[in-house]
Amino acid sequence: MKQLLSRRHLATLAAGVFAALALGTPAHAQTTYNVPISLDYTGPFANVMDSWHAGQQAVFDWWNDTRGKQLGVKLAMKTYDMRYDASQVARTWPQILADDKPIVFLGMGTPDLVSLMKRLPADKVPMIMGTAMVGPLWTPNGWHFSYRPTYSQEFAGLFAHLQKQLPEKRALRIGTVSTQGLAGYVDQVNGVVALAKTYPDRFAVVSSQWVDNTPVSVTNQIREMLQAKPDVILVGTNTAQVVATLKAVKELGANVPVVTSSHNGLTEVAKAVSMEDQDGSFSVFAFAPSMDPSLDQIRQIFDKYNKSKGTWGITAAQTAGQALLTVAAIERAIAAVGPTKLTGQAVYDALLAAPFGAENFHGLIKSVRFTKEAPFPTEDLAVKAVTAKGGQLVPVSKDWMPVPELAKW
Amino acid sequence: MSLALPSGVHFASHAEELRLLRTRPQRAALLLLFVALAVFPVVASNYLIGLAISASITLIAVVGLQITIGMAGLLNLGQSAFVGVGAFTAASLYANHGLPMLPCIVLAGLASGLVSIFFALPALRIKGLYLALTTIAAQVMFPIVVLRLPESWFGGAAGIGIDQPRLLGTAVDTPAAFYGVAVGVAALMLLLAFNLQRSHVGLVFRALRDNDIASSVLGVELGRYKIMAFFAGALFAGVAGGLYAFYIRYVTTDQFTIWLSIWYVGMLIVGGLGSPLGAVFGTLAITALQEAVHAGGTRAMNLLPALSGGTIFAMTNVLLGAAIIFMLIKEPHGLAHRWRILKTAYRIWPYPRG
Repeated sequence: MKQLLSRRHLATLAAGVFAALALGTPAHAQTTYNVPISLDYTGPFANVMDSWHAGQQAVFDWWNDTRGKQLGVKLAMKTYDMRYDASQVARTWPQILADDKPIVFLGMGTPDLVSLMKRLPADKVPMIMGTAMVGPLWTPNGWHFSYRPTYSQEFAGLFAHLQKQLPEKRALRIGTVSTQGLAGYVDQVNGVVALAKTYPDRFAVVSSQWVDNTPVSVTNQIREMLQAKPDVILVGTNTAQVVATLKAVKELGANVPVVTSSHNGLTEVAKAVSMEDQDGSFSVFAFAPSMDPSLDQIRQIFDKYNKSKGTWGITAAQTAGQALLTVAAIERAIAAVGPTKLTGQAVYDALLAAPFGAENFHGLIKSVRFTKEAPFPTEDLAVKAVTAKGGQLVPVSKDWMPVPELAKW
Repeated sequence: MSLALPSGVHFASHAEELRLLRTRPQRAALLLLFVALAVFPVVASNYLIGLAISASITLIAVVGLQITIGMAGLLNLGQSAFVGVGAFTAASLYANHGLPMLPCIVLAGLASGLVSIFFALPALRIKGLYLALTTIAAQVMFPIVVLRLPESWFGGAAGIGIDQPRLLGTAVDTPAAFYGVAVGVAALMLLLAFNLQRSHVGLVFRALRDNDIASSVLGVELGRYKIMAFFAGALFAGVAGGLYAFYIRYVTTDQFTIWLSIWYVGMLIVGGLGSPLGAVFGTLAITALQEAVHAGGTRAMNLLPALSGGTIFAMTNVLLGAAIIFMLIKEPHGLAHRWRILKTAYRIWPYPRG
């Protein structure tokens, strides 16, 4: 016993333990970086938040498990309930900066943009959004990015497709329903009016109806609109207006499809109006719809890595796209500065360095090229859409539908 | 109005009795409060500092509402629109015209006050719920007008962004620095409101509130003082808006909704209409309640994963509403009244407060 504990033996034992520990350490230790995420668990979008966050969480966990391990980087998601409130974002942000030292921030909507747009360049943290943008945010040199263009551009992609389907050669007649006083909503209409002015032989805005933000009925307004014989009615605002418009169209015995976006899309509307009663209506966005056959790979990733009760659908697909763009930018930043020197500046530079090819997005997004001139891609834009058919949502087109060029309005 | 005072406290003149701080313990308590406010940013987290900034800004708007509704008895459901006018004015003056931060905030207050005169004019002929409707009109008109004014003025649909604000040559770039500005301005505005309450104008406002016809018989110029009450309330709202613009650093019309106006009224009712102290209690109580309910909702979501976020959000709103109703039933005169009872009971202890 005495011999076993001699200095020589102890030294040998210590050396052995040290060697074992050293050998046990992986060649590339993973460096962890925080990625704060803005969510709304106790605000107006709480009911979709499970699926919203599931899309982000599944992609980040998949990336950590695969590419992250190879590259020696781990991304730690830090979720913040911002309540969809600009003041909440403003007071949480300094805490995020101090505690998380983020290399990128995943925003959720307008409150994040409003509160952080002016701070991000000084704080050197890029923000990546998953929502479409609006014309007023079409400003240069921002540190906020979205893979989706403006709502108006997304609508334009579908309108161009529908115009080509018309039996005779004429402009697509568009009616719009929106609300005065809400800048983002007014901008959607302004963008479509600009589209009609740019391509008068292809598009015509025949009636613009301004209604309450959450109307009880819009039958009177739709009655007036129907006199102008629209081919489609655009309601890009909120679910309440889509529901009211669909009910009015049915009440008036008309058969005019309604065009919506992702946030107020047909799945959400189906909670109030059956999918059968939405027959022929559309949701359009700059990512592939969740039931698109080309999404097998991302669907498998989601099924394997989703840990929440969120389900795969339009919402999860939208935020999976946001997360895929984020990890693609981080991978590029790692290639530029190395896995241990990642910063917000490196991710920002990576976002602007070169286009992100479609191969980064598993079929979910076409390709994305950012410039300093706009916080979203402005060239080679394309969208996909879904339509209600026989009580089911089906893709409108297998291929991406190109968006007509539209100058800033 | 007058409170029981400890034995031995007496005043040699009316002016002495009207002082805001009449006894040594009152002065000591105020000093302690200032020390606590000064220490707060040193010990509190950035989040709590942010919460204090938001509460200070809200407090200024609610104190303004106390002047219009509580002191002068003129119902105003459009305070958020006046906050918006102030925010856009401050943002435009700072971003487009390069004015320093403090003058921007002062001019924001004046601009809101001037705009309010337009909506105060109906107060010369109508009152009560009819007057409330005209102030709702202010709320409805505000975003429509801002969106239609030339973009070079207020940014139109894009709104206006503000670069990092500077105060007297120093960047206000930390939560603690902005806390100093917000709490300082809130304290100053609160002092103004207390002084207004005990001034000649404050007395006239109260006369208007209690019986405007009787006041006019006694020689009060109703129109002039009603407009003054609106102007003063909106001036406070404008200052709050100016601070908000510098805090959030981006203003759009969507940020100033009628719901915000209703929250301001709710805070004032919960705190008590009769004194600026009611605005303080109401703002603090509702802010704390909102935070507690949201924190509870988040915790419930973590503990009960079977519940969806939507259900919890609905429940938090129900809980918030129920808490406010409970407070109103238990103390319809507001928390400030309860505070007065508590103080009286303490001062005359062990005698019953009667």
